[in-house]
Amino acid sequence: MDGSYAAKPMLASKVDVANDGKTFTFALRHGVKFHNGKEMTSADVQASFERYRRISPNAAVLADVESFEAPDPFTFIIHLKKTNAVFLDVLKSPVYPFVILPAEQKDKPAREVEIIGTGPFKLGEWRKDSHLIIEKFDGYVADEGGKPADGLVGRKTVNVSSVRYRFMPEANARIAALQTGEADIISNVPRDLAGRIEGRPDLQVNRILACQQYFIVNTQQPPTDSVQMRQAIRAAVGVDDMIGAISRPAKRSHSMTIPGGEYYGGDINNGFYDQKNPKLAGELAKQAGYKPDHKLKLMTTATYPEFRDAILVLSEQLKEAGIASDVQMVDWATNASNMQTGNGGWNISSTSFCSNPNLGPQQWKFMVYNFPHVKNDAELDAAYDKFYTSLALDDRKTAWRVIEKRVLEQAYMIKIADIGVIQALNRKRLPDFRDFYINRFWNISLK
Amino acid sequence: MLRLVAVRLTHAVPVLLIIAVLAFLLMQLLPGDPAVLMAGDGASAEAIQQIRERLQLDRPLWEQLVSWVTHLLSGDLGTSLTLNQTVVSAVAERLPVSLSLAVVSIAITVPVGILLGVIAAAARDSWIDVAVMAIALLGVSVPSFWIAILSVILFSVTLGWLPSAGYVPLSDGFLPWLLALLQPAIVLALFQVGFLARMTRSAMLDVLDQDFIRTARAKGAPESRVLWKHGFRNTLIAVLTVVGYIFSLLIGGSVIVEQVFALPGVGRLVVQAVLARDYPLVQGTLLLFGFIFVLINIATDILYVVVDPRVRYD
Amino acid sequence: MTDAALDPATVAPSALQRGAALARRLFRHLSFRIGFVIVALLVMVAVVGPLLHTADPTAMQMRFRFRPPSARFWMGTDALGRDILSRFVHGARLSLVIGLWVAILSGIAGTIFGVLSGYVRAIDSLVMRIMDALLAFPPILLAIGINAALGPQVHSVIIALSVSYIPRTARIVRASALVVRELDYVQAARISGASGLRIVLRHILPNSVGPLLVQLTFVFAYAILAEAALSFLGIGPPPPTPSWGNIIAEGRDYSVEAWWIMLFPGLGISLAALGMNLLGDGLRDVLDPRLKIEG
Repeated sequence: MDGSYAAKPMLASKVDVANDGKTFTFALRHGVKFHNGKEMTSADVQASFERYRRISPNAAVLADVESFEAPDPFTFIIHLKKTNAVFLDVLKSPVYPFVILPAEQKDKPAREVEIIGTGPFKLGEWRKDSHLIIEKFDGYVADEGGKPADGLVGRKTVNVSSVRYRFMPEANARIAALQTGEADIISNVPRDLAGRIEGRPDLQVNRILACQQYFIVNTQQPPTDSVQMRQAIRAAVGVDDMIGAISRPAKRSHSMTIPGGEYYGGDINNGFYDQKNPKLAGELAKQAGYKPDHKLKLMTTATYPEFRDAILVLSEQLKEAGIASDVQMVDWATNASNMQTGNGGWNISSTSFCSNPNLGPQQWKFMVYNFPHVKNDAELDAAYDKFYTSLALDDRKTAWRVIEKRVLEQAYMIKIADIGVIQALNRKRLPDFRDFYINRFWNISLK
Repeated sequence: MLRLVAVRLTHAVPVLLIIAVLAFLLMQLLPGDPAVLMAGDGASAEAIQQIRERLQLDRPLWEQLVSWVTHLLSGDLGTSLTLNQTVVSAVAERLPVSLSLAVVSIAITVPVGILLGVIAAAARDSWIDVAVMAIALLGVSVPSFWIAILSVILFSVTLGWLPSAGYVPLSDGFLPWLLALLQPAIVLALFQVGFLARMTRSAMLDVLDQDFIRTARAKGAPESRVLWKHGFRNTLIAVLTVVGYIFSLLIGGSVIVEQVFALPGVGRLVVQAVLARDYPLVQGTLLLFGFIFVLINIATDILYVVVDPRVRYD
Repeated sequence: MTDAALDPATVAPSALQRGAALARRLFRHLSFRIGFVIVALLVMVAVVGPLLHTADPTAMQMRFRFRPPSARFWMGTDALGRDILSRFVHGARLSLVIGLWVAILSGIAGTIFGVLSGYVRAIDSLVMRIMDALLAFPPILLAIGINAALGPQVHSVIIALSVSYIPRTARIVRASALVVRELDYVQAARISGASGLRIVLRHILPNSVGPLLVQLTFVFAYAILAEAALSFLGIGPPPPTPSWGNIIAEGRDYSVEAWWIMLFPGLGISLAALGMNLLGDGLRDVLDPRLKIEG
């Protein structure tokens, strides 16, 4: 994945895609070393893909694979049963990454593999709740033929001996650590505390706007199984108060794509955003047969204050529209699990998506269907089918616009804002650090 | 003496067993399905079923209980659902942190608490007594997490004297270790200091009222000797009684203090285990805390006999 | 009740007199006086406060985020522009209600277990072993476990904390029961055919009331501290419930820029616990000077 989130080869020197979009041939780089010193070959790649297909929660994306093939040690071929125009983009998923592991690891169950990769850093020490140390991997073979480092690909040189991540849940403690020099770089600074750092010339604050926050509406749980009720909720939402409440950098945007992205569709689906119309909300709720004694259940978590705060604001806005609600606090693991299973009797929850809006519609699909528990929506199914089978980008863009409209119009998801994270670093110590949606510690020097 | 130890240990067996059953039952009440949680985002039904079978979550309750107790007897507390390691190794990994915190905190609590108590008793009803007892009372009334946050703001954020969070192992040097623990240990000690000072004072007052103290004074023994040799030695029993309870307070308090100071100890482990609904881990840590507490009480009972030979257990 | 001795007409005067004498002795005690004033003030805040200060504790005004204390917002506003005074007042009510319920429930349950254990020798051993086992878990941990199981609601906080403190109250009642049942006149009553229930009501309970009351006052104080700690850890009553622990948890990131958010509820918790502890000290000194109860 490069700096503009496009899929690019890293362990392969090139990829050939057949004209029918069904066969993908990867020419693997020679001499790539695993952290255990072994050279990577196509057998490792095949084993890793087979393992992914068997145990990854995201295994469904490989459902159309007919076969894997490794004709020689440095060639790997994937055959699909049917055309998938965006298969390479599927492979760039950072949420369930396609990691190449040594073939011996292929039978290990989920979460029990040894951490042996091919990257410029190897695992040093990991103490849960305390710290993670990654060390420079001396056997790393840089992609000499590749372009200069760009995003996550290209030539990487490591100039530091190790990087130590410390897990500090308290924002005050993180900021203090940066101020006293205990830390060189810290992440997730609450928006309202950035001022403490901004005054100091040696420290720098980066605002990285790479995520989008939504309300997810459960289509299987009454009364939000009714489309009017969902639209009533959408009509009640005023995003400015939410942007004001969440302690994150945030920007108004109606779109499910970050502006500037390949699939960004301009203002076309603007009408569903920030309606701020409690009167309309009340009427729609009435049409849906809503009775005030039926309280909506808003599920959220304190782990992510921005989700909690958005839900608290929503609860007040619903109250204004005459819709009663109860806030249910759970830990994030329960929240995420309930969101996926539909358990817990929740009507609305809030979450943010950090890769999907950047990576494209193929990464969205799972969330779009799974979180609101969309069932029997022929229009959405057809649009996604068209998206996957269209080899021309313009046709895929058209399909995505239909998908986006359907999701927002049916109020499966209600967009709140594009949100970001604030990172702060010591500019004197890290003069050539460049921010990206994830931190990169290659090609930087430590002063 | 050996017989005493044996008797106390035998008495502890049913308590330990009940602790084991309570720890087991408590976690059965938890909502949510750990298998769904473990399988991760969007897992298939088969993957969830696989995990459920692997952890025997599909077996009847009593079968799970029997297997839990049998495994306990062989020192096996089960495997954490979220940490990918056994409960014993997860706890063992974090125990040094909690023990370090406990040691530093006790090292502050005991001398300070006793000293304050004795001073207050010696200066009974004077302004010193009132002041010391007011401080002790504040210690048991002010919430530790609140003091912890205020303390971080003052000593770490504003003054920059002490590190704000994290743990440095003893192997990295005594001073860095102590420095990292000083702030959390003091915050943690506040409650126990107040508690111990109040206990010591009232025990001391009881003793100081007695005849042999008057006799000692009449014989012209120096006041400090009367206070410590005659007075305090005789309050040791009363003070020992609360040592077990102080440990219990310490464990409870460490849950909160470890959270604020991001110390990777057992207290933090248990809070996260509850939040992640990691059944075996919560069971295992609760059980371990229970066992430690019972053992401390046995040790206290035995110490009684050492301190006061009049006490007998039959 | 046909029992003449329990007839209010014959019991009331002496009970009244005794009560008045006790009250006089209590109010001569400095700690009790101070504790009483603090607790009475907080009760007034909790009861009358919501009537006088009518701002909605959950209403948000984003244009008034992080306002420092002023004539309009006496205790300032929080990150969502909510009025802290209003949340403080409702938080006081919640804290006191939770403390009171925990004291009542653990008092009742502790009395039942204590009496059973002290009076019915056959089950004494079992009940006390269960109490020992419960006692082996630090209260806050036990409460975390129970609360996680029951879900984060006000009533589960009350149940969790009550269970945690039962062993302490049960032990006190049992100790009284053990002493009382061996007294000559109680033995005589039993031989003359008095029912077990009667002996419990007439002899054991009245003798346990003093120490139990002292213990419950301390339980009240600990329950307030524990509820705040649970809220702080995110397993107390759910937001937007204005509990003191919640206000601190939600305001802790802003403790430098907006110190008022966590200052007032922190003072509230400390004062409430302090007041109850002072009351407990006074009660202990007056009711039973030999008693060594410390929660």
